[in-house]
Formats: sequence, C-alpha cells, structure tokens
Amino acid sequence: MIEAALDLLVGVQNEDGGWGAVKGKRSNTESTSFALMALKSFEGKLFDRQVTAGLQWLLEHQKDDGSWFLNDASKQSSWTTPIALLALLSLQDQKEHALRAAKWILTQEGRKPGWVASLLVRLSLVKKMTELDPYLSGWSWTAGAFSWVEPTSYSLMALKKLKRSLAGTNCEERIRQGEMLIYDRMCENGGWNYGNSRVLGEALWPYPDVTAVALIALQDRAASEANQTSLRALDVMMREAPSGTALSWGILCLRLYNQDVREWKEILEKSFEKTRFLGETKGVALALLAFGNGASLFRV
Amino acid sequence: MMNRREFIKVSAVASLSSLVGGCRPSVRWDRDAYRKPATSRVAILEARSYQASLEDIIRHGLHLFKLDLKGKRIVLKPNLVEFDPKGVINTHPAVIEAAIASFRSLGARDVVVAEGPGHRRDNEYLLTASGVYDVINEHRVRYVDLNTDDVRLTKLRSSLTDLRQLYIPETLFNADLLVSMPKLKTHHWAGVTLSLKNMFGIVPGSIYGWPKNALHWAGIHGSILDINSSLPIPQFAIVDGIVGMEGNGPLQGQAKQSGVLILGEDLVAVDATAARLMKIEPRKIDYLEIADRFLGNISYEKIELVGERLERFQQDYRVIENFQELKVLTG
Repeated sequence: MIEAALDLLVGVQNEDGGWGAVKGKRSNTESTSFALMALKSFEGKLFDRQVTAGLQWLLEHQKDDGSWFLNDASKQSSWTTPIALLALLSLQDQKEHALRAAKWILTQEGRKPGWVASLLVRLSLVKKMTELDPYLSGWSWTAGAFSWVEPTSYSLMALKKLKRSLAGTNCEERIRQGEMLIYDRMCENGGWNYGNSRVLGEALWPYPDVTAVALIALQDRAASEANQTSLRALDVMMREAPSGTALSWGILCLRLYNQDVREWKEILEKSFEKTRFLGETKGVALALLAFGNGASLFRV
Repeated sequence: MMNRREFIKVSAVASLSSLVGGCRPSVRWDRDAYRKPATSRVAILEARSYQASLEDIIRHGLHLFKLDLKGKRIVLKPNLVEFDPKGVINTHPAVIEAAIASFRSLGARDVVVAEGPGHRRDNEYLLTASGVYDVINEHRVRYVDLNTDDVRLTKLRSSLTDLRQLYIPETLFNADLLVSMPKLKTHHWAGVTLSLKNMFGIVPGSIYGWPKNALHWAGIHGSILDINSSLPIPQFAIVDGIVGMEGNGPLQGQAKQSGVLILGEDLVAVDATAARLMKIEPRKIDYLEIADRFLGNISYEKIELVGERLERFQQDYRVIENFQELKVLTG
C-alpha cells in the first residue's frame, strides 16, 4: 500500500508545487500541508524535490499576518492555518514562519452570542435548543462563525507545540479555554462529532475522525476519564465505520496514546485496496502518516 | 423547549438587533433573479418501493417536461448529509442510480453526482455506507465533493441575508443542468427540507465549515433563498418520497412510506407540492412564502399537477412541537 499511496500522492502534485483536494484541483493549504507531512515522514524515500516545491508553495502563500487562505480563489484567512503550521514544524528551519502563524491563531476566536441572544439564553429560550455552552472560546471554520471541535483541535495542537515560544502571550489561557470547549461538546458516550452533542433533547452520535483529532489535541490529558471514554468510543467507531480517513486519524491517535495499532494497519491496507480513498490527497496523506512515523508530527 | 411562537419572537428580536447594528438590507432581489413562471408543472409519480423499475418511472417523468438533454452535462445533487444505519436520512442510491441511467438514456453527454455533505467530512465513509459508492462505481460516474471543489466567488442575486456573495463550486459553472434530489423530509429548523434546502449542500465546507454555520448565522430561510436565486445554471428536481422522514428531521426523524417521486423544473412549486403531500401548509414555511414572490409558484392554482393525483399520496407527516401550526392546510 505504501508504494502505491506514495506514487498516488507524488503523481497529483500540481506544477505550482502544491496539492489540490484531488487530482486536477487547485492547490490548497490543507492538502499541501498534509501531503508535505506525509512525504516528510518517509524521509528515506528521497522526496526532496517534491518537499522543496511544496514548502515553497506554503511559504509563498503565507500572508503578512501569518495566516493562510484556503487557496488562490479564496479571499479570507482560514482554518487551515494551524495545519500549515504543523506542516512547517515537521520541516527544518521553519519555526519563524510557524510562530507568525501561531500569533495569528491567537487573534482568532469563534463567534459568541450577542446581547440579544445572551438575553434569550438568560431567559432559557435558546440554550434548550442545544445543550452546549456558547460562551466558551474556541476556533471557528470561518471568521464570524461559531467555534467547532475540529478547527479548535487543530489550533490546540499548533499552540501546544509552540507554547514555550509563546510566553508572555495569552496562549496558555486560549489553550485552557479551547480544551474546555472540546470537553463541553463531547457526545453522551464519549467521542465527538462536529461539535453538537444534543439537538432538541436528542443525543447526536460521534464521528471517528473528529474524535481522533480531538483526542490528539487533548493527548496531554490522556488519563482523564473523558479521554479514556472517548478512546473506547473511537475503537467501536473504527470497527463500525472503517473508512481510510477514520482509520488513519484513529491510528495516529492510538499511537499517541501508546496503543497497539497493528490490527488497524491491516484494515487500513484493505480499505485502500477497495477505494484508494477516492484519490483524495488528504486521505492518502493521512494513511501514509498512519503507516509511517507520522504520529510523532502530532505529538505536543 | 422553544415553541414556534417563541422561535418567531427570537427571529424578530435577532432581526431588530441586526437593524440596531445597522446595514441590514431590505428584502430585495435583482431583476435577473426573478424567474417566477405564470404556471408551473409538477409531476407526481407512483413508485411503490426502491425495487420498482425506477429508471422507467423517472424517464417517463422527464418526458413530461420539455427538457433538451442531448449533449448536456448534468449534475445530480442528492441529499447525502449524514449516515445512520437505522435511519432514512439520505436520497436512496436506487433513485440516484435510476436518475443516472435516465439522463444518460435521454442523451446527456455527462452525468456527475455531486454533494457537499453538511456535517461529515469523510466522503469515503458516507459514500460506501450509504450505498452510493457502489452505484457510481458500477455506472462509472464521477463523484465531485462540492465541499472541496474549486470555487468561484459569486455575487448573490438576492439579499434576503447580509451575505451578498458566496463561494460556489466550479462544477456548477461547467454544467448545463443541476438536478436537486432531496429526500422528502420534515426539518426541525426550517419546517421542511426539500429541493431548495438541499442546495445548502452546494456551499463549500472548505470555505464555510462543517456545519455550514455561516449560513445559520445569516438566517436559514434567507440563505436558502439567496443560494437558490444565485445558481449559475437551470435546475430540475427529483424528490425521493418513496420513503420519507417525519418528526425530528433531517436526521433523527422516523421513516414514512409514501411511495412517490415528485419531479419538476420549478423547485418552488415542487417543494410546495411536496409540502402539501406531507399535509404541511407551504405558505407557512417562511422561505417558500417569500420564494413565491420571485422564484416560483406555491399557489395550488398556479401548479399544474401531472401524473397521479396529490390526494392519493397525501399523508399526515408529523412535525416537531415547534411547528404544529405548519400543519394547517389552506389550499
């Protein structure tokens, strides 16, 4: 699987050095970042040319404020910034660019209810629609929107990796708030979906990929009951929904929690044979990270 | 739990808040957004089960409209928002398969299946679990993830929200007909989710996120209208009402056998008809009521029903407590 996946990944690199979501699509920050991390985790395979071109794409697309847009068609800084930061940290001598990104991340915050909605929450009209705490501070997918689990998790990973270099900022407080938000959004029996555990009183179910991403962001709280419950939920979900993305994120997560992943790698290999992960750059890159030493790139 | 009256109050206060904040545009649309026809044809076709010869039924249905499909590029946009093995959330793969075969047999040059799921990012899971992967694989149809497609920033032709512009997937600009293929469902925020609401799925998650929360902040009803008024190509609708969903839709409602497909070129008329089929008053659905002013017809008298009689398939679809007053049918 590794050779085929590497061939696939290298074969879909765009001429501008970046990667699109699938072959033929415009280069974007998320796909390029995961592809770079995947190739970097197979250093012995001599992908220097591809990595150099990919890094060049990333550096050229970093904005003055430290953020990245999704791609050249987008006109707004995006949730992909912490992922680009993680990619830069996997490469040598890029810490300065990563720190600029981290400082931008610290300026971002998901939207909270305004005074009208606050009043309504106080009158107990709104909170009952969902049962989450809307005042916790995390990160949103797009400016002006609510905080959700996945973008908050990426930002936490990025900030936790750089927190020693961010002394004197509000980094520690943002990390604490972000963690509180993720725990607040946990589903009833562990795990996470996009970020809503109940709607109109009914429990919603968790997703394996988001659960793994959240657990990676919370890896330094491994012993907590919520983490352990969610790890068990992740195991069940990976058996029930063994897609490439779910298995790959799951393996990366389980390795960071020091669990045996040999069985999961076999299942991942079979999954690749069946669908080749739809040729999606991110899916293929994640699988390579899971098969190789990619977990270390997410260690905080 | 908030009831509908409280919900309306919340919406009204939220609107007032926007006004206080300034700059909320008045309800308006550009001249080229107006496309309400004098009358609209909607086909109601019996399809007892997913084992029925759906290709024949859909092809017959398409013949009831003067669609020029020869050499055209068709985008089928099913509702594939989530997957629950015990639920009936998504457009059934048998309906998608029949639509692929029907459009091809009528001369379409290219048929693609495209969706931008609103909650889950994992396409491989959604496609394989739902059975859609086997269909596109067997028929060698391309699947486009609209969440990660290349995008084009597009000025909206109406301003029922403050959005003004949206990123729209390039796949739509490169096609000739967009076929909305929703499931017949009630919806706990919008009242019903049909061919117009299904277009939330074209908004790219890679820009707006999962869920597409920016649309919720802008207002669900207004967003539905602004998206639909600004689509770059003509549309058609095929509603999967063979088994619908009642109650707490779009995800956690109960299955309801209805045995019907609803087709039409005027998505507003199709949705109004589908609502009536669920014994829900379309004029009480905010976005349908406003759509009637410029996008299409919801008046019973302006809709020419062909195929089966509406009354034959009309059933009482339960709605959540907040929406009980939607159930009064005024004709």
